[in-house]
Amino acid sequence: MEDVITKSKDVTLLEILDRVLDKGVVISGDIVISLADVDLVYVGLKVLVSSVETMERLRGAPFAGAQEEEPS
Amino acid sequence: MDLIYLYCVTDNIPKLKEVKNFIADVYFFAYKGLYAVASRVSSDEFSEENLKRNLADLEWIKAKANIHEKAIEAVMENSCVIPFKFGTLFNTEDNLKTMLMKHIKEFKDTLKCLEGKEEWGVKIYCDMGKLKENLIGDDTELLNLDREINSCQPGKAYILKKKKEEIANTIVNKKLNECGQESFERLKQHSIQSRINKLLPQEVTERKEDMILNSVFLIDKNKVADFVDTVEGIKATYVNQGLFFDCTGPWPPYNFTKPEGNGWASNSPSHIMEEA
Repeated sequence: MEDVITKSKDVTLLEILDRVLDKGVVISGDIVISLADVDLVYVGLKVLVSSVETMERLRGAPFAGAQEEEPS
Repeated sequence: MDLIYLYCVTDNIPKLKEVKNFIADVYFFAYKGLYAVASRVSSDEFSEENLKRNLADLEWIKAKANIHEKAIEAVMENSCVIPFKFGTLFNTEDNLKTMLMKHIKEFKDTLKCLEGKEEWGVKIYCDMGKLKENLIGDDTELLNLDREINSCQPGKAYILKKKKEEIANTIVNKKLNECGQESFERLKQHSIQSRINKLLPQEVTERKEDMILNSVFLIDKNKVADFVDTVEGIKATYVNQGLFFDCTGPWPPYNFTKPEGNGWASNSPSHIMEEA
């Protein structure tokens, strides 16, 4: 139980970016970053465009069809 | 020229004293019982053009994403929040007000629905090498194949090796599916809403293991302990197999305020928000 992270300083940047950049309400503000831009950010994280392919591949795995699952 | 950066919307007067420590000019804009937490930012950083440029700067993103998150977390201490996506900007306060006016009902309904609930995230990672080693070590079919490979002609051995690889991959995939799917299904039982997000590649996670599940849950505050216990239970069953669980929370409900596919407010049709 004690090694479950109850959110604190040791939550990784990844966890923050995974939410702040990609999720949250998108509304018709005057400027909103498009999703495509965010993917570029992810790629920028560790350089190289090749990771786009990795991302595409991983997105399909491991349960094709279960991604972005519809709520029950 | 200044722009207005929107962090979150809440329905309680936000306490911003702590936020002022890292966003000096943070303030709230009140509109008919809603409070938009915002700050003035410079167009040198946040105009469309400059923002695009800055998005290529990892250090800049790290710093700003952190501030965005911390601001919302601080407001969340005292009330429910609707977190906005990074970089939601308005040219004028009038435009911000117009947006609030337009969405007042959805925002209020959403906040009401979020009362007493928390967002938690569970990511599962897999050390493929370790998992493979574990699974293959005690598979009789593969052990028999090994024996055959060692005793037959090179040509046949090659074909058998291919076959062995295929079987091994099937076993590993089955295990991954089982772990990901079953864990998700079990955790789902303890949540009001759940969602599977896209997997992030190693380049992003900077971990040597592969991410095999990226899931988020909206949980009744009273049931968070059950949820965390369940994660611990599942984690324990996989602990020696190269499968690792990361459970984090509570988060601002980034994943459960969006229009698409969030049934928990489905009895209120006004919940549909417009995409930009």
